[in-house]
Amino acid sequence: MKNKRSLFALPYVVWMAFFVVIPILLVLFYAFTSAAGGFTLDNFRNMGSYLVVFTHSFELAIIATLVCLIIGYPISYWMAKEGPRFQRIAMVLIMLPMWMNFLLRTYAWMSILENTGLLNRLFAAVGIIDLGNLINGGLNSLCAALNGAFGLSLNTARDTAMTYFQMINTSGAVVLGMVYNYLPFMILPIYSVIVKMDHSLLEAARDLGADSVTTFRRVIFPLSLPGILSGVTMVFVPSVSTFAISRLLGGSSEMLLGNLIEMQFTGTTYDPWLGSAISLVMMVIVVVCMYVMNRFGEGEEQAVML
Amino acid sequence: MAKELIRLVDCCMAFDDELVLDHINLYFNDSEFLTLLGPSGCGKTTTLRIIGGFTTPTSGEVLFDGVRMNDIPPHLRQVNTVFQRYALFPHLNVFENVAFGLRIPRTVEENGKKSKKKLPEKEIRQRVLEMLEIVSLKGFENRRISELSGGQQQRVAIARALVNRPKVLLLDEPLAALDLRLRKDMQSELKRIQQQLGITFIYVTHDQEEALAMSDTIVVMDQGKIQQIGTPEDIYNEPKNAFVADFIGESNILDGIMHQDYVVEFFNRKFKCLDKGFQPMEPVDVVIRPEDVDIVPVEKGQLRGTVTAVTFKGVHYDTIVDFKGFKWLIQTTDYHEVGKEIGIVLNPDDIHIMHKSQYSGMFGDYSSYSEEYDEINDPTYIEEEDGNLGGRGDEE
Amino acid sequence: MKGKNRFGRRLSMALVFLFLYAPIFVLMVFSFNDSSSRTVWQGFTFDWYKELFQDSIILNSLYTTLLVALLSSAIATVAGTFAAIGFYNMKRRWRTPLLTINNIPMTNADIVTGVSMCLFFVAAFGAWNAFAQQFNADHVAQLPTLAMGFGTLLIAHITFNIPYVILSVSPKLRQMDKNLVEAAQDLGCTWMQAFFKVVLPEIKPGVVNGMLIAFTMSVDDFVISYFTAGPATSTLAMTIYGMTKKRISPKINAVSTLLFVTVLLLLVVVNVREVRQERAKKHPARQQEKNPRGKKFLLAGAAAAVILLLILSNQSDQRVVNVCGWGENIEPSLIEEFEKETGIKVNYQTAESNEAMYSKVVMGGSGYDVVVPSDYMVSQMRQEGLLAKLNFDNIPNYELIDDTYKNLSFDPDNQYAVPYTWGTLGIIYNTTMVDEPITSWSALFDPKYAGQVLMINNPRDAIGVALLYLGYSVNTHDEGEIQEAYELLRQAKAEGVYQSFVMDEVYDKMEAGEAAIAVYYAGDFLSMYDNNPDLAYVVPEEGSNWFVDAMCVLEDAAHKEEAEAWINFICQTQSCLANMDYIWYASPNGKALEEYPAYYKELYGEEMAPDLYEVMAAPADVLARCEAYDALPPEVNAIYKNLWTELGIKDG
Repeated sequence: MKNKRSLFALPYVVWMAFFVVIPILLVLFYAFTSAAGGFTLDNFRNMGSYLVVFTHSFELAIIATLVCLIIGYPISYWMAKEGPRFQRIAMVLIMLPMWMNFLLRTYAWMSILENTGLLNRLFAAVGIIDLGNLINGGLNSLCAALNGAFGLSLNTARDTAMTYFQMINTSGAVVLGMVYNYLPFMILPIYSVIVKMDHSLLEAARDLGADSVTTFRRVIFPLSLPGILSGVTMVFVPSVSTFAISRLLGGSSEMLLGNLIEMQFTGTTYDPWLGSAISLVMMVIVVVCMYVMNRFGEGEEQAVML
Repeated sequence: MAKELIRLVDCCMAFDDELVLDHINLYFNDSEFLTLLGPSGCGKTTTLRIIGGFTTPTSGEVLFDGVRMNDIPPHLRQVNTVFQRYALFPHLNVFENVAFGLRIPRTVEENGKKSKKKLPEKEIRQRVLEMLEIVSLKGFENRRISELSGGQQQRVAIARALVNRPKVLLLDEPLAALDLRLRKDMQSELKRIQQQLGITFIYVTHDQEEALAMSDTIVVMDQGKIQQIGTPEDIYNEPKNAFVADFIGESNILDGIMHQDYVVEFFNRKFKCLDKGFQPMEPVDVVIRPEDVDIVPVEKGQLRGTVTAVTFKGVHYDTIVDFKGFKWLIQTTDYHEVGKEIGIVLNPDDIHIMHKSQYSGMFGDYSSYSEEYDEINDPTYIEEEDGNLGGRGDEE
Repeated sequence: MKGKNRFGRRLSMALVFLFLYAPIFVLMVFSFNDSSSRTVWQGFTFDWYKELFQDSIILNSLYTTLLVALLSSAIATVAGTFAAIGFYNMKRRWRTPLLTINNIPMTNADIVTGVSMCLFFVAAFGAWNAFAQQFNADHVAQLPTLAMGFGTLLIAHITFNIPYVILSVSPKLRQMDKNLVEAAQDLGCTWMQAFFKVVLPEIKPGVVNGMLIAFTMSVDDFVISYFTAGPATSTLAMTIYGMTKKRISPKINAVSTLLFVTVLLLLVVVNVREVRQERAKKHPARQQEKNPRGKKFLLAGAAAAVILLLILSNQSDQRVVNVCGWGENIEPSLIEEFEKETGIKVNYQTAESNEAMYSKVVMGGSGYDVVVPSDYMVSQMRQEGLLAKLNFDNIPNYELIDDTYKNLSFDPDNQYAVPYTWGTLGIIYNTTMVDEPITSWSALFDPKYAGQVLMINNPRDAIGVALLYLGYSVNTHDEGEIQEAYELLRQAKAEGVYQSFVMDEVYDKMEAGEAAIAVYYAGDFLSMYDNNPDLAYVVPEEGSNWFVDAMCVLEDAAHKEEAEAWINFICQTQSCLANMDYIWYASPNGKALEEYPAYYKELYGEEMAPDLYEVMAAPADVLARCEAYDALPPEVNAIYKNLWTELGIKDG
């Protein structure tokens, strides 16, 4: 009886075999194939020169994930403590931007961060840029004075007046884009774990003498770990592999793994074999990271999403 | 002489406009096993939560040793709770669950200096193991909570609460989720632990049998009011009103008139009884316990009726007898077949007289016998109390 | 104390929401801006909305996005629910590994999922098409050939949506009382009836939630669509991504605003309804209002709408041609005119650079019919056998092409390519942002302009200008020379000379004054000059590249005849004139080039400035110092490729 019902999964299992398993195997196959068609390890041997891209991507993704966690956790926690009406509205507000494609949202940031963008215009209007120049000018003359007096060669970073803050095409802008786009992916799982937490557990902790700080540290936080893990995964993975955000907000000065892979497939340097190899290495690193992290928060049930 | 530990003075509690507790006055003595008994929604759990510090009464005072405690948070009260669904921490094993309270640094006053102190690991270990032994869970220290049976989880919850050596242990329907056999075992176990440790247990239940079996004192509550306080025997033998009479055990409750001391009239017949102190000709409720009625041949009976239903109950038969349209439940060891006419005899000490109350006329008639009876006896019937147990406490 | 805490908490939540919504708000405000500027407010207008509703590309992609989201979430919901039931009933031994596989699309990086599916479709379709070709040659019955398109896009979306549905349905199944189905069967239901009457209502919240997530994910997706949609299909995100490389039209703001407002209204309606229903539950007397029939009607209506959409979208009999050109490189009205004239539908896609176009083609499954590579790329593709010989009987207008553009080295026998445009590569600079007129490529390597230079983002042109500056030929095969050119670029990059490497983004940036100097093509300069007269163009004294872009038909094109019809249409003098007026690239149609100033005068009522005409149609003395790109041998191409990747990853 029971086994018969399990046949309902059969069509999907076949589907998975075709559209999940075989494609991944193809990536594996390509990664070990040369352009000429034979087996090769060259794709991996050449990987060394891309180490910079790997470290840079992971660096930015880790920063973005941490920022998301630092912002997302308290927000989720406070949200879960509000009344049901507030929670419902807040959930809708967090989900709503996702219904606009994430490229639209990223594009919105472009016009804010550009050198002649809204923020720089605002800074100029408020006088922050002038202030910056003033300070810089002051420093410059101070340096000059000191240099003159003591024969030093002090220097400030900038010796001409600036007309804008460089924000777009920097790593910062890329991290901002990641945080902006993926913050909901951090908030939602953490929130859903906290909101489902059995209230009597918190009462029990209080009853056993824990004050609110201890209750948080020893009960709420450990119990919300599955949500955190799931949130971290959901922010980290797309961050480390993005190519649109880095392209739009980082210009071409921010080459991330995603850009590198995209370049090999549809970009200027056609080399799907190398692209597959890079994808494979990235996949393996991510899986290993996730595995280690899951061991760290071991034993908790599969993290729940949304 | 027993020492008073906790006192509730004129406590009222209102959620929205609904009065859940209505001027409760109650005190709890040292080393006492006290049970708050009542149907769901009667306010017993709310009372417990007020003592535990999870809710603050709308008005009135909570005194511990004469000191007002209304606004003291739960973690600063020397009271611990066993929750209805245990509320064990799923991320900790048995040992760590029990050790939870011990690992929290306490403020200790030494020579007028206040300092936070942690218990040494050795002492924690010793106390936890000791407590696990008391609740018969030796050797289970490293188990995960999800690997335990319901009864074992229950024991962990008790150990976790007791290891802090509270003066008072609050138990909120702790056995409700267990099956009948386990419940019986745990009842005696709890009683044993209470006696062994000599601390006060405040126990909330809706199960009258449980209350009678374990308690030193029973507080019967309904609709936010205390209906009666007394020893199990008092409560059973001398119920104060129709509600208590019906809720504790089985009762036939009739309208009667108290002619004078020791004489009551019902079914147009006067009976001798042992009660006094009523107004002459005062209308009263008369309680007759089913097991007190003697069935005799028709001609010898003070009253006569017809058997309408018989159910075999193992030790006895539940026999429903129709007296002029009013049906009684009578428990006998002899079998009387349906349709047979019988007589009954009531001795003066079988008759208990109560003042009329708001509950008069609501209980004690077995005309619609079956449903009510079944419900009371259904062991798997678990009530949801107040609805604010497992909730997130939005209503607070 | 408590109140203060609460205030602080709410304030920080408000700040986060502000962070989430401020950009969207900006986007919406500027959809009403009476200028194409994205940062300066110049008055209120509805023009962008009007234009939006005439822009078939954006509307089509919006339609594709919504259709894919609807279909994929609907299919994924049904399939996922059944799969979840299957998994639920499965032995643990089987379930665990299958669920792990199921989790792959969710946990894997989007780009890996996209790339892997792309590889799969290419391989599968390649094999199938080879088989079909063989089969069709031998049999009367014809098998269709397959290409990536809406179907593959849909499959991809279904594939990444199903896991979310399973994730959302499974917990509900686990929570369900195991005896429910048995109870229903006991009462006389078949299993199916039990499913619909008992199980489905029980797991409904999970199913609905799963569908919602699936829909959201589908709408939000860009990366996977990007790799699986093929040439003729484009989601909104892909269109935007294509546009961000060029001038971003505020039409995008308008479409965002509409999307946002629609979703907002939808959510408000749903929530108000939910709140009402909850209230109704509290007051049962008012509950009879609820009308199950109405709900069924609604469902039936929605289903009918979806089917209708499907039928409408499935006009497969129509003749089509898939064209891959450059961004802003065709007068849009020409497409409409062609479609009207011939009844052939044009799917016009753009590639970013020759190399990017080449990648898509060589990867296979691109589905393009017509491509417009530059000279050197024509040779390369011709040599690799990617191009088809043209049937010039179908292209009578070829004779209008000036002889200068025939018999060129990339197509010596005039068999494969029909020239489309020609022009020069040069420096575009903002006269207000530099001290003196620029005449040399040296400006691109001068630390004086740190952060002010936009370098062109393709290896041939970028390394080419460095070679020119060094005095080498752009066609050199000498590795040392190329290496030297690379070093020059690398050092300039390290010194922060380059603000970024761009292709069509150059429009937006130069017009807005984001950068002072850029390397780009003459025709594009003229487009930019239209919007920012401070700009100037120069073909540096060291010489430059003279290029011809030519229309070619791919060897594996499915619509060769249509492709030739398109090429023929474009060669008409009238088309060339209109095109020149729009894209400002010189036409190889001699008559058109000659007539252009007159055409301009007629159109705008004023003379065209001669110097601007000279930028477009470079005079002989300028052409004399220019050199065309030749195809490079594979080993030199490999050097370019490696150096280029290396340049990209070197920290600036």
